[in-house]
Amino acid sequence: MSMTPETEQDLAAIIKGAEGPLRIEGGGTRPLGRASNAARLSTRGLSGIRLYEPGALTLVAGAGTPLAEIEEALAAEGQRLAFEPMDHRDLLGTEGTPTLGGVVAANVSGPRRIQAGACRDFLLGVRVVDGQGRIIRNGGRVMKNVTGYDLVKLMAGSYGTLGVLTEVALKVLPVPGCTGVLRIEGLSDAEAIRALSHALGSPYEVTGAAHLQAGAAQTSVTLIRLEGSEASVAYRAGELQALLAGSGAVSLDTDPDRAAADWAHVRDVGPFQGCAGDVWRLSVKPTEAPGIVAELPGARALYDWGGGLIWLLIPEGGGVAGPEIHAAVAARGGHAMRVRGDRSRAGFAPLPAPVAALQDGLRRKFDPRGILNPGLMTPMETS
Amino acid sequence: MQMPEPNPDILSRKADLVARLRTVLPQEAVIDDLAETRAYECDGLSAYKCPPMVVILPGSTQEVSRALAICHEMGVPVVPRGSGTSLAGGALPTADSVILGVARMAEVIDTDYENRVIRVQTGRTNLSVTGAVEDEGFFYAPDPSSQLACAIAGNIAMNSGGAHCLKYGVTTNNLLGVTLVQMDGTVMELGGAHLDAAGYDLLGLICGSEGQLGVVTEASLRILRKPEGARPVLIGFESSEVAGACVSDIIKAGVLPVAIEFMDRPCIRATEDFAQAGYPDCAALLIVEVEGSDAEIDEQLGLIEAIARRHDPVALRQSRSAAESAAIWKGRKSAFGAMGQLGDYMCLDGTIPVGALPHVLRRIGEMSGEFGLGVANVFHAGDGNMHPLILYDANKPGDLELCEAFGAEILKLCVEVGGCLTGEHGVGIEKRDLMAHQYDPDDLAAQMDVKDVFDPRWLLNPAKVFPLDASDTRRRVA
Amino acid sequence: MKTEFTAEQLADPKIARANQILRSCVHCGFCTATCPTYQVLGDELDSPRGRIYLIKDMLENDRDPDAKTVTHIDRCLSCLACMTTCPSGVHYMHLVDQAREYIEERYRRPLGDRALRWVLARILPYPMRFRVALLGAKLARPLAPLMPDPRLRAMLDMAPRRIPPVSRNDDPQTFPAQGARIKRVALMTGCAQRALNTDINDATIRLLTRLGCEVVVAEGAGCCGALTHHMGKTAESHATAAKNIRAWTREMDGEGLDAVVINTSGCGTTVKDYGHMFRSDPLAGEAAKVSAVAVDISELLMQLDLQDGDDKGMVVAYHAACSLQHGQQIKTYPKDLLRRAGFRVVEPADAHLCCGSAGTYNLMQPKISKQLKDRKIRTLEARTPDLIAAGNIGCMMQIGSGTGIPVVHTVELLDWATGGPMPPAMAEAGPTALAGAVKDPAKGVPILR
Repeated sequence: MSMTPETEQDLAAIIKGAEGPLRIEGGGTRPLGRASNAARLSTRGLSGIRLYEPGALTLVAGAGTPLAEIEEALAAEGQRLAFEPMDHRDLLGTEGTPTLGGVVAANVSGPRRIQAGACRDFLLGVRVVDGQGRIIRNGGRVMKNVTGYDLVKLMAGSYGTLGVLTEVALKVLPVPGCTGVLRIEGLSDAEAIRALSHALGSPYEVTGAAHLQAGAAQTSVTLIRLEGSEASVAYRAGELQALLAGSGAVSLDTDPDRAAADWAHVRDVGPFQGCAGDVWRLSVKPTEAPGIVAELPGARALYDWGGGLIWLLIPEGGGVAGPEIHAAVAARGGHAMRVRGDRSRAGFAPLPAPVAALQDGLRRKFDPRGILNPGLMTPMETS
Repeated sequence: MQMPEPNPDILSRKADLVARLRTVLPQEAVIDDLAETRAYECDGLSAYKCPPMVVILPGSTQEVSRALAICHEMGVPVVPRGSGTSLAGGALPTADSVILGVARMAEVIDTDYENRVIRVQTGRTNLSVTGAVEDEGFFYAPDPSSQLACAIAGNIAMNSGGAHCLKYGVTTNNLLGVTLVQMDGTVMELGGAHLDAAGYDLLGLICGSEGQLGVVTEASLRILRKPEGARPVLIGFESSEVAGACVSDIIKAGVLPVAIEFMDRPCIRATEDFAQAGYPDCAALLIVEVEGSDAEIDEQLGLIEAIARRHDPVALRQSRSAAESAAIWKGRKSAFGAMGQLGDYMCLDGTIPVGALPHVLRRIGEMSGEFGLGVANVFHAGDGNMHPLILYDANKPGDLELCEAFGAEILKLCVEVGGCLTGEHGVGIEKRDLMAHQYDPDDLAAQMDVKDVFDPRWLLNPAKVFPLDASDTRRRVA
Repeated sequence: MKTEFTAEQLADPKIARANQILRSCVHCGFCTATCPTYQVLGDELDSPRGRIYLIKDMLENDRDPDAKTVTHIDRCLSCLACMTTCPSGVHYMHLVDQAREYIEERYRRPLGDRALRWVLARILPYPMRFRVALLGAKLARPLAPLMPDPRLRAMLDMAPRRIPPVSRNDDPQTFPAQGARIKRVALMTGCAQRALNTDINDATIRLLTRLGCEVVVAEGAGCCGALTHHMGKTAESHATAAKNIRAWTREMDGEGLDAVVINTSGCGTTVKDYGHMFRSDPLAGEAAKVSAVAVDISELLMQLDLQDGDDKGMVVAYHAACSLQHGQQIKTYPKDLLRRAGFRVVEPADAHLCCGSAGTYNLMQPKISKQLKDRKIRTLEARTPDLIAAGNIGCMMQIGSGTGIPVVHTVELLDWATGGPMPPAMAEAGPTALAGAVKDPAKGVPILR
């Protein structure tokens, strides 16, 4: 069964009247932990930009609005979603159109997260229908708002398990005039992370810091992105080249198309697209990243966020299993989640007991019948 | 301001409570003499006050946990307090409550420059977090005007902002992890030195929950490398409306300064007396700051000045030295206190869409005439976070009530134009009863559901945030 | 802040002044951040905002002070860092002074406390008595561990190892200017300083006469009254202050005075406040005139022609005395003067914090004082200076008791740099004290005349 309500009220009625589990879906490009017996509930009917004020850096749109539509409207005013949401399609081999609601529900951010912040940091307000069918509004459309509890953050990244987003308000930012990409080749993982830490600890406002391991055909590549006016990028690139001189030759490329392609490759985990095997996403303390990867033999890694984000590919029969990954990360602080693999079970990290108790409590409050995306956000079994 | 009746049963067990607290805390960390508890009867909002039953000053997470467990067991409400600088009455006690002050927990636990994170006890003041890392060239970005005195604990409770959050974001955008003690004494870690913790964003939920979900004893904060330089420019205008239009144009042009601050004439004069910053005497002043190398600063200020000139500024001057920049900011950050020279005031904190600035400033001016109370304006113009200061005479009967009514009208106006009641100070006690103007019953119910989960007995920071009638049933059940 | 005084209470000029001060406080809490005792104790009651609250409550209800209120007010250093910080201009000094007087009048302290205060009030302001006491303390030091009261132990510990001989320069007389007389100034020679360290006044007289000042040590001038004033002993403090006012008024009415110059900033703050202290006294007019011409030595030196000196290659850590930086708001002059004379000036972290000396505070509150002293010395030594300079004898004694780095008065260095002798504290410390300066080529070799 599939439902695509066109209004918030219809959506509320559907949820109130639901008799079984619902699988909430935007564009369907990020299928995680699907419950096989659930009815599909799509937000695509709740589409359209409701308000866009470039002078106030604010955009409000229906949750089902295609991301492409948003990006087009912003580009026309020289603005963008600064958190650079990842497109999962090529990594997961899915079809469909990513929606704004999907991005928010999964708190999807890209390489610029280290400097600009995550999706949740740009989220000003939400409207949501919870598991009881209540229409709830939280936050608003202004930049600073501490009126009451921040349910906006709670909803971001909750994968539709507390409620179905119907409308979101976002802060947007101007697109800078110029992008420069610094490139160092041949560094080991540890050397690369040290160089990236050095760059991120400089005053030169790095907006991307990634390391791609060596493959069969090419050497390893470490990328650093700078954005701003032409003069500013040139100046900062020069300073960083001097700062990182000890790491080897640092080249600068200011071609906009190549820069866009390079960072889309990092953002969408290009190296693992089309490769067989499970893909994991690890959030860790940057300096711990190379050590964690070294503990997982057979795994291939792509480092983003200066090492704070590790994309891991565990080739089929790679020998490393979920529990080992969770253990390696937990020992050094951080968490891991499997984003590609067995689609029937989502690979969420286990939580400490008191945190899990709060999470369960919240879920029972907002979805007392347990009908919203059952199975999602539930820590994977340790087997 | 209506507060719940103190529970006589709790009051009658005060001696027992004090004795038990003294078994887990040092003697001088438990204060129960009325002569002494009175100093804790209010915070930065002195219009409302009530001495607490007991004050405790624990020195560690473990002491906090043990003390909370005792209060939980005895059903005694607890009001967490940072430095007591809240302008919303966020740390206002009830007569049957225990004030839990974190001022004795102010140590730096770990500084990690490579991962750009510092771990501190939350009694540490905001500015001294930067103080701990500035020798290495780093800083902690959120800069509430009270940053000299306000504690990280309070910053987290209120999700504090500041002048520079136009670029760097507010507390929630710079908070990576916390140690949270629940009302029953359970200690848990949320987040850490890594980004985007597992599970629901409980860290984001805790931040800004006004001390009602738990007591935060330690925090991991993101630190950033200081920019090479920063320079403010002062731009004076003949009217607030013109200044507001200029702000909107600057943002629309794609230049994003780190801060755009606004002050009107009464504020300019009061702060100039204190800081001698060389502010021009004009109807409306913008302080616009940009960062970077000298050349980058020149480039950005060039663009900003070109936009400003289209609005016929009556004064336009860049800061000429680090000392002058410091004085400019010292004046701005002391604006609330400096207004104290003129008399009593109530400081509001609504946010509005930037485009509505001229309209709202004009309406506030009109209402000032209607209520017969003066208003001074000082605020973060770049993000529409307004701080109208209503001037009144606290010793004149009826003036406070008049001031409250005026304040409520201004905040309703903020909501009406698409904004909110509070941008960075929090709801506290001050805006509690206005919450229904911004939120429908279901919106509030959803927030109170969260409270039910974290603090089922509703003991933490009672009578704040939610209108008493809205929370009545839940508190009764608890 | 709202106050609750009745019209009848407000008729009392003292209460009216307190009300004026309390009304200007907006309870913002900025003062807590720079209050040394709040840093150490972490209790609002030991911060200016808390004390203001305690005082407000006591005065409004016209109630006798209780032991706890007294404890918290006694713990105040009167460093006045809060006044530098306060954006609302709350005159904390006048409020706490009034509270101390109120406590002295209406509170009966425990016997030991009273005895200690009685002794201090009768010894410290009198150089000869103080000398005898210091000699006694020196002899009694071996017995210190036996003392039951930590405050008595602190007194013995604080007594200097070396008690200087009496300096005849401190006797009433006039020192003529070298060359043409540019100014005629009265030097306040003080009380405790005359017993503890005679080098400072000697250096001041040499320096000022060299720069063209005629320096008068006025007949009848003595203690400024600060020590007893801060104990709330108004009668005693006013009596000694009145003597000074009369002595300097005689000089002003006679040959005339361009300034009353003070080289102990703790005293300077008080002399500058004579106008307020005597505002309802028959001496009001004279007191106001004295306050108007009172200057710290650094203020006077800024008006004189101190020539630029060569780089001495010495790093001087400047310790800002609270009475100078907060009480008198003199922050840059001493540093400017030292730099002009050729010294490399550095400052410790948290320079706004008190060293814990604070008049008799180190004797009455030894525990808190020790914590502040240790903190101050740690931050000073972190700058690895060759010398520490301060403009207040109390700070010099306090810091000197805990570090091997020589501690000198700013004027001693300026005197040395312009032709006077090397400050005795440096000479005594010997070549090792200057080893850093000599050995480190980056600092250069000290150029000594």
